[in-house]
Amino acid sequence: MSLKLANIAKRFGAFTALHDISLRARPGEFLALLGPSGSGKTTLLRIIAGLEAPERGTVYYEGEDITHLSVAERRIGFVFQQYALFKHMTVAENVAFGLSVRRRERPARRAIKRRAQELLDLVQLGGLGKRLPAQLSGGQQQRVALARALAVDPQLLLLDEPFGALDAKVRKELRHWLREFHDQVGLTSIFVTHDQEEALEVADRVVVMSNGAIEQVGTPSEVYDNPVNAFVFDFVGESNCVPVIAADGHAVFRGRILDVETAGLRGAGALYFRPHDVRLGAAAELGLPATVAAVRRREGRIRVEAGIVGLPGPIELDLLPDGAPSPGEAITIMPTNARLFPVATIHEAAA
Amino acid sequence: MAAASLPRRGGQWALLALALGFIALFLLAPLVAVFVEALSQGIAAYGAALIEPDALAAIKLTLLVAGVSVPLNVVFGLAASWAIAKFDFPGKSLLVTLIDLPFSVSPVVAGLIYVLLFGAQGWLGPWLEANNVQIIFAVPGIVLATTFITFPFVARELIPLMTEQGRDDEEAAISLGANGWQTFRKVTLPNVRWALLYGVLLCNARAMGEFGAVSVVSGHIRGKTNTMPLHVEILYNEYNFAAAFAVASLLALLALATLALKSLLEWRYGVHGKASS
Repeated sequence: MSLKLANIAKRFGAFTALHDISLRARPGEFLALLGPSGSGKTTLLRIIAGLEAPERGTVYYEGEDITHLSVAERRIGFVFQQYALFKHMTVAENVAFGLSVRRRERPARRAIKRRAQELLDLVQLGGLGKRLPAQLSGGQQQRVALARALAVDPQLLLLDEPFGALDAKVRKELRHWLREFHDQVGLTSIFVTHDQEEALEVADRVVVMSNGAIEQVGTPSEVYDNPVNAFVFDFVGESNCVPVIAADGHAVFRGRILDVETAGLRGAGALYFRPHDVRLGAAAELGLPATVAAVRRREGRIRVEAGIVGLPGPIELDLLPDGAPSPGEAITIMPTNARLFPVATIHEAAA
Repeated sequence: MAAASLPRRGGQWALLALALGFIALFLLAPLVAVFVEALSQGIAAYGAALIEPDALAAIKLTLLVAGVSVPLNVVFGLAASWAIAKFDFPGKSLLVTLIDLPFSVSPVVAGLIYVLLFGAQGWLGPWLEANNVQIIFAVPGIVLATTFITFPFVARELIPLMTEQGRDDEEAAISLGANGWQTFRKVTLPNVRWALLYGVLLCNARAMGEFGAVSVVSGHIRGKTNTMPLHVEILYNEYNFAAAFAVASLLALLALATLALKSLLEWRYGVHGKASS
């Protein structure tokens, strides 16, 4: 089903959690709300769910204003970060909860049991219905929470940091599994995460948020390859930032003219490039002069940390293992795909 | 190795002996004394002291008072903790402070407050008299004073636990379509049941044993407004030691039973260790 948010704003006391959020989710879409903590992503999810009321703005499901409907009336499935499974109930009872508390059109006890079993089979936990939540692993508990949320036949599935409490390996597995699961069930889903890798890998579209506002909405490729501002560039993926002066179609760093697209920008700017979007140039080439501080082995790549005179932190480079420099060596860094942003944007992002 | 650990072991024993000696002197000896004194004139006199009409009336009244005030405080305590732990509202910290008031006020003062409010010379006294309602020097006053004194026990057990458990479970239940009552009965209450039982136990022990506040509002009318602790005092003041200790032994037994149940709960469910589940 389709979801539309129009001009949503929310304050907690003096703190503005959300400024003026407008957003659409298409039917069947898997949307990620990505941002650092305090960016308002969880608040937005809770407003979509009806667990929190917006101060201003409207929530539409299928074109219908449901801003003032309660959680129960919205037909959503909500999966909590810590799962929030009912500890004293068995796994099957947890899954059946949504059906067994129905006052109108409650299915017969046997039908409820059958449905709970179906859902457990769906999340591949068919044999564990009689266990208590505490007897399951984190990943299994997460899937029980998912099955429980699906029992009420939601049209919209909302997940708050669904992989947050899991260890790295289980996280990855569950990530793939959830993506496939979403496609199989055919719901519209929205999940909140602070992990850009997770958002890029799982979602159809990523909503990048900071300070209670949306910075960019786009496919994983769009936000990664074409970030609209310095914040998005910096937050979605690794990045290096070099302060430059732009003039006459050139970017200048400490007297050296760099070969980058300035897009008409003039004055102080920040040059952003990803660690893998570089090559090492010859000494005579116009690039960034640097000294290698450390070389570390990574999977398939070499990570080089290089110091540049006049910069506080090191620049990080991802290079192929052959031809990688050794510590102490002087190199010239040639960004092959860099973006120039006016400096004002950086301050905004840093605030 | 043995030589090295010997001195430490000696210190250990000394500490243990000190602690055990203290317990024996201040806790065990009085307890034993109660039963020895109670049975000093034989088992027949012990029994007679308990089934004598005034003693029976005191026991009945004590059970009645506990029977009313404990359920009241279960309801109040649950309501207050539910409100404090699961909702945000202005004046919340004031409410938390107020819950502790009965602990910080001397029971005698608590009793006096009720005399001041409901007594013949009190604010509401003339109105109550005109409507023929007696609270002070009657059972309602005793129940009120006891309820006031024992109010914090249930709430104090529940608030920290409910706060720690957070709101996720309740929000999950509501998002699955449960209404407020279903959420409370099927999710919140099972989550706190052992802490609640523990609170009820402590509340009951205090309700039956309360002396100060009850003493002020009761009027000490034998066979009518005397609870067990008050009856013990009267018997004692009349130099009827065996009977006084006989009734006191019942209170001591109640204390022992409460302690035993409390230990059982702690051992079985770890009420205070991990979250009760």
